[in-house]
Amino acid sequence: MQLEFAGRRALIFGGTCDLAICLAELMMGSAIFPVLTYRDDEGRKLIRESLGPEDGRYQTAFLKKGERASLERLFAGDAANIDYFVDFAQGDYERFVAAADEDEVDSYFSENTAFRAEVLKMAARSMLKRKKGRLVFVSSSAAARANKGQGFYAAAKLASEQLYKSIGIELGPRGITTVSLRPGYVDCGRGSRFLHDRGDEPLKKVPFGRALDKLEVAKTVMFLLSDAARGINATEILMDGGMTQVK
Amino acid sequence: MNPKNNNTLERVRVMLGEMLDLDGKEITAETYLIRDLGAESIDLLELAVAINQGFSIKVQDDQVFLWRLRFYMLDAAKNNADVQSYLAGKYPFLDPGRIAEIVADHDSGPVLKVKDIISYINYQGSAAAN
Repeated sequence: MQLEFAGRRALIFGGTCDLAICLAELMMGSAIFPVLTYRDDEGRKLIRESLGPEDGRYQTAFLKKGERASLERLFAGDAANIDYFVDFAQGDYERFVAAADEDEVDSYFSENTAFRAEVLKMAARSMLKRKKGRLVFVSSSAAARANKGQGFYAAAKLASEQLYKSIGIELGPRGITTVSLRPGYVDCGRGSRFLHDRGDEPLKKVPFGRALDKLEVAKTVMFLLSDAARGINATEILMDGGMTQVK
Repeated sequence: MNPKNNNTLERVRVMLGEMLDLDGKEITAETYLIRDLGAESIDLLELAVAINQGFSIKVQDDQVFLWRLRFYMLDAAKNNADVQSYLAGKYPFLDPGRIAEIVADHDSGPVLKVKDIISYINYQGSAAAN
């Protein structure tokens, strides 16, 4: 089955992670122009080293979490007419709730929830002009079942999922739909480090028997962006190999 | 109404015509958006986006659509403040006469009129030009 895409331009928020770069490659192969956000020179360099020179197949754009000026510049320029928005951006703060630093907690939610709401407002308004748009949030199975120390990460993911769900409910009548994907263990980036530190133990809880690889997650995101998946709106989809369904 | 307001009214009228099922209803500066035209929250959001794009001005939805009007009126009463002065501080694009109308009218339903949108656009446009 060949996936079809009505849109041609995508903004990838958190464009420097392995999954985002893998997704950008798939997009370019499907005639979708990805704009990948980065927050520092190192991130931009990483994107360019992975995707090659910015020669008209993709673009990078500066966006720093919590920095409203960079957000306004982005949506006044490179992201003014996006059809798709894919969100990988997520900071980590692993602490027991009873051990967390108050200022860190405040800063974490400000960057990972409140600022995300600002980004979503801009993205949704941009799409509303043309009455079409699709937003995919790459959440985590931690939103359904968090390990010890993941309380803040899970809380930010759950809060963000609700923002996406609300957009799908509120703007669905205007052609703008949303979905959140909850991958389980993925063997890339932060997930690789976690699995490396803990050995095979976490995977014993996964009926699927292994971690996901980045390509299968990116392909699933592509399906969720496709015209065929538009009916999947204002909801969350688990992609964890069955992990959260067992005792 | 001065020529600048007439032009703004015409453009807003076109925007509303594209968004709402007007069913032959005429739009004047005195038309209530919610009471007369049946505009819903999503219609007003769409109007905000159209105004932002069409007039190149920043639109604060809470302010232009008077979403917090009742809260402000309660706040003024709670603080023993003069309601009209309080609202003038919150809605600098509305003239004193319009604010007096709003205070007198608010018990009858949503007070937002097309002329309030026009005032906001002109006010924001002037602010941007300065």
